[in-house]
Amino acid sequence: MSTRVGNWLDERIGWRGIWQTIFLRKIPKVNWSFTLGSASLFVASIQVFTGILLTLYYVPTPDHAYDSVQYITTQIAGGWFIRGIHHWGASAMVVLVFLHMLRVIFYGAYKFPREVTWLTGVVLLIVVIGFGFTGYLLPWDQKAFWATTVGTRIAGTPPLIGDWILIVVRGSEELSAITLARFYGVHVWVLPTALIILILIHLYLVIRLGISAIPSREE
Amino acid sequence: MEVAIKWIMSEASEFKRGDFLKATIFGVCGLVTVGLGIPAIAYVISPTRQATQTEVWIRVGAVSKVEVGTPTLFKVKIQRTTGWIVNEEELSFYVLTENGRDYIVLSNICTHLGCRVRWIADQEQFFCPCHNGVFDKVGNVVSGPPPKPLNRFVVKIEDNELYILGS
Repeated sequence: MSTRVGNWLDERIGWRGIWQTIFLRKIPKVNWSFTLGSASLFVASIQVFTGILLTLYYVPTPDHAYDSVQYITTQIAGGWFIRGIHHWGASAMVVLVFLHMLRVIFYGAYKFPREVTWLTGVVLLIVVIGFGFTGYLLPWDQKAFWATTVGTRIAGTPPLIGDWILIVVRGSEELSAITLARFYGVHVWVLPTALIILILIHLYLVIRLGISAIPSREE
Repeated sequence: MEVAIKWIMSEASEFKRGDFLKATIFGVCGLVTVGLGIPAIAYVISPTRQATQTEVWIRVGAVSKVEVGTPTLFKVKIQRTTGWIVNEEELSFYVLTENGRDYIVLSNICTHLGCRVRWIADQEQFFCPCHNGVFDKVGNVVSGPPPKPLNRFVVKIEDNELYILGS
């Protein structure tokens, strides 16, 4: 039955070819460290899913941010769980992409012809850190407020243009409703868009070029 | 279990091993989907479990303020908690008495789609501006799309004050 449905669909949309290209491609003999990219992708999907759910109740204004987060955590069924996964997933994300990067460095997998894959990976690392930085402010508690005060002040340290950068990042002289709104906007619109586009390029290149083998002694 | 692993690991069952891996992958995917999907559904539909509010007696106003024979508008301020927000809300009721003893309290919410009706004195009718619903003095539908008469509240009078049962 399922084979018949599969065949019917394959005749029309050709999904088997796509499936084979993505999941049944030939790879060299590798070890578990080669799963770190997939693990990052998996956690990223979880973050997108739980993040979308959180926006159903979260309100990004100084009046309501803290209360709405408390409401999610204490009043909404499964709210503590969804928020907890998003919270811990954020840390897992940073750890995983960092380990993924280390693996690529140690095996020299960034070399020709995979330089562009590496470059998109570098930008993806920055995007993930950006997610962490902007997401940290959203609960609008004491920790969030002062961490972002410090973090944005660091962004304002360069000479000459520092003050200007500080206002661009904060949207105002001090942390305010404008800061919260733009951190939220960046967290749920700008960064996800960048993340998805970059992941698509990254994966396209991984599939197109194949993954690199572990370097052998003779080389 | 051990037998199963030996059987899966044996040289002769290369193909079966692939099937086992495939089943494992789909199994784990299924577990993650269910483990995340069920809390997600509970999370989304959670407000339905909090929507039930207890009914209380709401003080509408002094009986002496009701004009005999014509619906009189009363406005009442109440505190309402929605999510984490406590709001002061203004409710409106039309109170009607023909003899100064029996009172009818009508909701001003149109039974069609929830717009607010108002009393048009010279036509002696309630009129809803959204879709031209018309009700008579006691709330029965005269014309337009409303399917039911205006909602009536349970009334009690204590110390010449009018109370209704509402949420």
